[in-house]
Amino acid sequence: MSFEDVEERDGVRLSWNVWPSSRIEANRTVVPIAALYIPLKQRDDLPPVLYEPVTCKSTPCRAVLNPYCQIDIRGKLWICPFCLTRNAFPPHYKDLSSTNLPAELLPKYTTIEYTLSRPAQVPPIFLFVVDTCLDAEDLKALRDAIVVSLSLLPPFALVGLVTFGTMAQVHEIGYAECSKSYVFRGGKEYTPKQIQDMLGLSAQNRAAPRPGQPMPPQAFGAARFLLPVSQCEFQLTGILEALTRDPWPVASDKRPIRCTGVALSVAVGLLETTFPNTGARIMVFAGGAATEGPGMVVSNELKEPIRSHHDIDRDSVKHFKRATKFYEGLAKRASNNGHAVDLFAGCLDQVGLLEMKALPNSTNGVIVLSDSFATSIFKQSFLRVFNKDDQGNLAMGFNATFDVQTTKELKVSGLIGHAISTGKKSACVGETEIGIGQTSAWKLNTLNPHTAKAVYFEVVTPAGQPLQQGSRGLIQFVTHYQHSTGQMRLRVTTIARNFAEAGSPSIAASFDQEAAAVLMARIAVFKAEIDDSPDVLRWLDRMLIRLCQKFADYRKEDPTSFRLSDNFSIYPQFMFHLRRSQFLQVFNNSPDETAFYRHILNEEDVNNSLIMIQPTLMSYGLDTPPQPVLLDSVSIKPDVVLLLDTFFHILIFHGETVAQWRKAGYQDQEGYENLKELLEIPINDAQDLLTDRFPIPRYIVCDQGGSQARFLLSKLNPSTTHMSAGMYGANQAGGAGQPIFTDDVSLQVFMEHLKRLAVGAQTN
Amino acid sequence: AAENQFSQQQQQQQQPQATAPSYYGQQQGEPEYINAPGYGQPPVAGYAAAGGVGQLADQFGQMGINGQKPFQLQTVNLLTSPPDPRELEVPPPQIRLPPGACLANTPLANAHYSYQRSTVNAIPNSGSIVGKSKIPLGLIITPYRSVKEGEEAVPVVTDTIIARCRRCRTYINPYVQFIDGGNRWRCCMCGMSNEVPQLFDWDQARNQPGDRWARAELNHAVVEFVAPTEYMVRPPQPAVYIFLIDVSHSAVQSGMVATATRTILENLDRLPNEDQRTKVAIIAYDTSIYFFSMSPESTDCTMLVMSDVDDVFLPKPNDLLVNLSECRASMESLLGRLNDMFAENHTVGSALGPALQSGFKLINPIGGKLIVLSSSLPSVGAGALKNREDPKILGTPKESGLLQTASPFYKTFAIECSRAQVSVDMFLFSAAYQDVATLACLPHYTSGQTYFYPAFNAARSEDAVKFAHEFGEVLAMPIMLEAVMRVRATRGIRMSSFHGNFFVRSTDLLAMPAVPQDTSYAIELQIEETISSPFVVFQTAILHTTCYGERRIRVITTAYPVTSNLSEVFASADQVAIATLLANKAVERTITHKLEDARDAVQSKLVEILQAYKTSMTAAGAGASAQLAVSENLKMLPVLVLGLLKNVGIRQSAQIPPDLRAYAQALLTSLPSQVLVPYIHPTFYSLHNMPPEAGTVGEHGVILPPPLPLTSERLERHGLFLIEDGQTLFLWVGRDAVPQLVIDVFDLPNYETLRGGKTREMRRGVYHPHL
Ligand SMILES: [Zn+2]
Ligand SMILES: [Zn+2]
Repeated sequence: MSFEDVEERDGVRLSWNVWPSSRIEANRTVVPIAALYIPLKQRDDLPPVLYEPVTCKSTPCRAVLNPYCQIDIRGKLWICPFCLTRNAFPPHYKDLSSTNLPAELLPKYTTIEYTLSRPAQVPPIFLFVVDTCLDAEDLKALRDAIVVSLSLLPPFALVGLVTFGTMAQVHEIGYAECSKSYVFRGGKEYTPKQIQDMLGLSAQNRAAPRPGQPMPPQAFGAARFLLPVSQCEFQLTGILEALTRDPWPVASDKRPIRCTGVALSVAVGLLETTFPNTGARIMVFAGGAATEGPGMVVSNELKEPIRSHHDIDRDSVKHFKRATKFYEGLAKRASNNGHAVDLFAGCLDQVGLLEMKALPNSTNGVIVLSDSFATSIFKQSFLRVFNKDDQGNLAMGFNATFDVQTTKELKVSGLIGHAISTGKKSACVGETEIGIGQTSAWKLNTLNPHTAKAVYFEVVTPAGQPLQQGSRGLIQFVTHYQHSTGQMRLRVTTIARNFAEAGSPSIAASFDQEAAAVLMARIAVFKAEIDDSPDVLRWLDRMLIRLCQKFADYRKEDPTSFRLSDNFSIYPQFMFHLRRSQFLQVFNNSPDETAFYRHILNEEDVNNSLIMIQPTLMSYGLDTPPQPVLLDSVSIKPDVVLLLDTFFHILIFHGETVAQWRKAGYQDQEGYENLKELLEIPINDAQDLLTDRFPIPRYIVCDQGGSQARFLLSKLNPSTTHMSAGMYGANQAGGAGQPIFTDDVSLQVFMEHLKRLAVGAQTN
Repeated sequence: AAENQFSQQQQQQQQPQATAPSYYGQQQGEPEYINAPGYGQPPVAGYAAAGGVGQLADQFGQMGINGQKPFQLQTVNLLTSPPDPRELEVPPPQIRLPPGACLANTPLANAHYSYQRSTVNAIPNSGSIVGKSKIPLGLIITPYRSVKEGEEAVPVVTDTIIARCRRCRTYINPYVQFIDGGNRWRCCMCGMSNEVPQLFDWDQARNQPGDRWARAELNHAVVEFVAPTEYMVRPPQPAVYIFLIDVSHSAVQSGMVATATRTILENLDRLPNEDQRTKVAIIAYDTSIYFFSMSPESTDCTMLVMSDVDDVFLPKPNDLLVNLSECRASMESLLGRLNDMFAENHTVGSALGPALQSGFKLINPIGGKLIVLSSSLPSVGAGALKNREDPKILGTPKESGLLQTASPFYKTFAIECSRAQVSVDMFLFSAAYQDVATLACLPHYTSGQTYFYPAFNAARSEDAVKFAHEFGEVLAMPIMLEAVMRVRATRGIRMSSFHGNFFVRSTDLLAMPAVPQDTSYAIELQIEETISSPFVVFQTAILHTTCYGERRIRVITTAYPVTSNLSEVFASADQVAIATLLANKAVERTITHKLEDARDAVQSKLVEILQAYKTSMTAAGAGASAQLAVSENLKMLPVLVLGLLKNVGIRQSAQIPPDLRAYAQALLTSLPSQVLVPYIHPTFYSLHNMPPEAGTVGEHGVILPPPLPLTSERLERHGLFLIEDGQTLFLWVGRDAVPQLVIDVFDLPNYETLRGGKTREMRRGVYHPHL
């Protein structure tokens, strides 16, 4: 089976598919054993399993019965492969035989999903937190989008509304007499208890109902603020449509007062009080940065600019640390309760995503950055959150937890992705820490079919222990989540891989360079988040060199002899592009953008992540069929159309000549159908790329020499720069590509250095 | 009586011919015309019709022209002539000014006692006379008494020419003297010679020379000046009413909320709003504060809940305090629904303090009225109070502690309100202890009013009707806004202490953010130096903004003769004014000292007066005597003092809930004399044997039976009696009442089927002794 087939079946891709048998050998393979696992991988072929899983009786093992278990049909026993405990099958498995096996024991169901008998007590909750410091057009667009989203929610889903500006307001949508909201001062930090009291959610100060008169349930509790869509759609639509700009005056030299922090703390407080530990999304719509109260990102004085990477680098940002700490605290509370926080920014400037990133990062919420809520990037991305599966259910899971179990040779080093640790210190927790470690379980909160978690492992077998015939290690991923229908589900994926002796070629042959590149990228970004310094790049270089030293074919000190086998060959190129990507080179982006890009990288599967690391480039010519071309300045030619996909941007680039033709309008003339086609095909292809992309990328159409073309140039390998004559021969006439003004080294230079370093030759 | 009235009018018209030489005019050879009275001034129409016969006679007496006759002291023996309540309707003794004291020749040149009265109508010329008489010297001022239909309105000087003394700032009045050929005037208070302002004799309306003698301020003791801009620190404020409505469980369940909102709704048209500038806000509260946002564009309103009672803020910068005319539709819709909005409210507790703070934030930039309707003891946030009612200390010396303010919040907040021109009215409804003593502190310092409906229950129509009526009257009442009041007197007299609802700003300036009608203030006077002038003048000036946006000064002037004769002091004493002053002093003493001390002080004051009278005015002198002698005009004083001692606010008892006591005290210190008298000495009628005309409508309204002496001797077993104190009506049915009486009055078959208990009560109107 190919790596992709395995990914199709189990939603998992591993850096190595045959594992070194000892700790020392594993260290020598440089790239750790790691998996990029998609818990909610769409599987049409999964049978409905409407019974409870059989689990290992040994606590804390509790591993789930799977096709890799040894079973004793006569003795009605199974042996847990993780802890070797002998477990009796439960009584209703008494008719078990080799021809009559339950699905979870069939080899094809290494991934299986149980629908548990106890449904969730509470339907999924959507709490909208809406900025009202917006101009009329923007506010209307946002209101309309939210109103549309109501029709996309299951009718039983609970919805609520918090709005904010100078103050934060929690709307009591269940109140019939008039529109009613609870107002919180924007400049004040409220404790959860205060929020609970102020919303009237605690039982104090209430007269006992008169005998025989039941207390009306609408009068208290969460039901006032969070109601089923089917019940409150009319009322909520009315409130949304009546929403107007924050009424407090704003001087011309000031930003509006915007208490995003208080609004969020009230939203988090409301949910944690009323619906702890259940599936919920807090969807925040911010039209600008918080300028007030806890979580303030920038003051409301316009003369104070919002912080840049340079300011942060110099440690000269007044509010940065305090705000970050505040949002981290909120993120932890939300996440502990299974609640996700989504951030939708509609602003040309930054909204303080950097400070707030802990919220989506800890809760696996989505981030969408757009210039305004009236843009299609926002509108379409927002509605795409509510995508449905084939059964018409929301394609998202709620309140998810994620457990990893390993056989004794392996330990869990950690997880990189949007999650928080549950602090489960099981036997399979390793010493080495990569990402969120010291645990074998995490809270993921919300999930979508793309969500991919990187899990890192270490081999702990000491060197020198002889490898037994056919010995293999097992990893079990167990995801417990609330389905949007209200069912509780348990997705179990169990994978087994062989161990190989040191030096066995099977290890090298099992290397999945794509998965490895993505898994290493996540480590690099994780390190960069903690310490954005050149150290990360040096670490990445060192790891690459060591990997090449270990797996390339070469003669010592002879760079020309350097050869990489096919399944390693493009790995250095990925690393080259990763080094110069916006994930690690932050200074061309705003801090918000950096936070956004990194968030998406930590969310997506292998294919999407690779596009982000090394964008794809298609070339369209009049005489040549569309073809992928090198992400290199040589690919720029006057008579082609290029289609660049960076995941975040989709760009159509018309070469100089094509642009002239187009401007002259030839495509509309008879006899130039081929030109018309040349202009249209890339557009159609771009549309295809857009179909299931989230968030919606920025779509750019530009001409060679136009200012927008910089988006393309910044991504291309600068093989021809203003400095170099070009490595494909100096002054090649004609189609030698366009020189790029950069001081960056080209891929070719990078590779030369790599070869020299790998073979141990002197560098010059 | 009508005949007599006519002849008096005749006489009045003839007065100009019979002018006595002017007092000042005698001094120098001023041309005659300068001090001439206003020739050809007609008597003011309708004036005589306003009062009863007694009033008229009194007004006549005040003209100060027909009598230089000394006061006739008529001693009566109290022990042989039981008090006749009809005596209480007799006006105070005449004010007999020396001839020529007054420029004008009209009874209106001296203020009617319903505006301003003195405890003696001849002012002792020295402190020692005061000391000898033992009569406390004081003024009772009701500057903003209501003017009923048929009464003359207060004349207004509209040309903004305001002549005032350069030295003492006295306003020109009928008691000044023109000198220097009429170019200057001499101040009646300090003797300063002042220039007559330019344009004083110019008729601005017609733009032609005017008649100085026609100027209202020279003919009327009660007059209002339209103030020029020098009297403004800002343009006149609009009237602002902010209703703070308790919507907690008990408030809603008692029906208070429904009654209050219905009453506001029904009275929206009566709310002063002539200039369409009146602003209104509704704030509801329990343990949270509920604001309502309204706009002219919509009939809907939005409720904004502010629960941060420890750190009160306004949830919105606009649309909370709205123009009544513009937002009428949404205001009506809100008032119609407010009770329903909170019908299921189970919250117990009251964030009154935070609600007040919220209202204050809203009203602070303008000033106006905060009208509080509260059903329970404040329990949350600033101003939260503890239930300090303790039956064990009632009737003990510690009881007065319960009449003191329990929390400094109420005083501090009141002063803040006063500074911001905010007045607070309290409508209190609690069935349990509510600490009226503390809550009444706000109206007290901000010139507001307190109303108390203990254990209000709208299901009883008598409760609902009384509250709705009284509340409606408060809403409809015109008010004077951002007012300051100062009383000036002729040199030698000092205002020594002040009683009533206001805040004393800078020694003698009384700050009154909103002056309600028919509220009285008592001021104690001190003779600091021997007065040599033949008469003295008291002038009360209230600078205020009318509730229709005009800055004005109301000036009330009264002149009194000066005497060195003790018998004149006794003969001119005003027993009702004395009782009013004593009531104010007694209440103050209950708070600074003890209830017992207050009663003792009142009682010994009476004894002192009687002793002084007996010693100096009767043949018995200091010796023992079988007589209890006092002058005719003081003979009701003992019974008034007895009534005061028996009033709930003062009396000895271990049974009076402190809230009732505190409320009674609030009334004792704010009711005008005309209402205070029945409050301490109720009117007592026999209804089963009324004269035939009783109950029919006569010239002055319903004819009442003659009041009886207030003694149980008069009760008869077969009879039906009515006792009325202005707050409560008591019907007393004798055990042997014939069934026909019971059928006629109660529509019940016989005495046995009658049930005792509360039926209906209502604060009565001030100047209409009938209901
Ligand atoms: Zn096990
Ligand atoms: Zn003067």
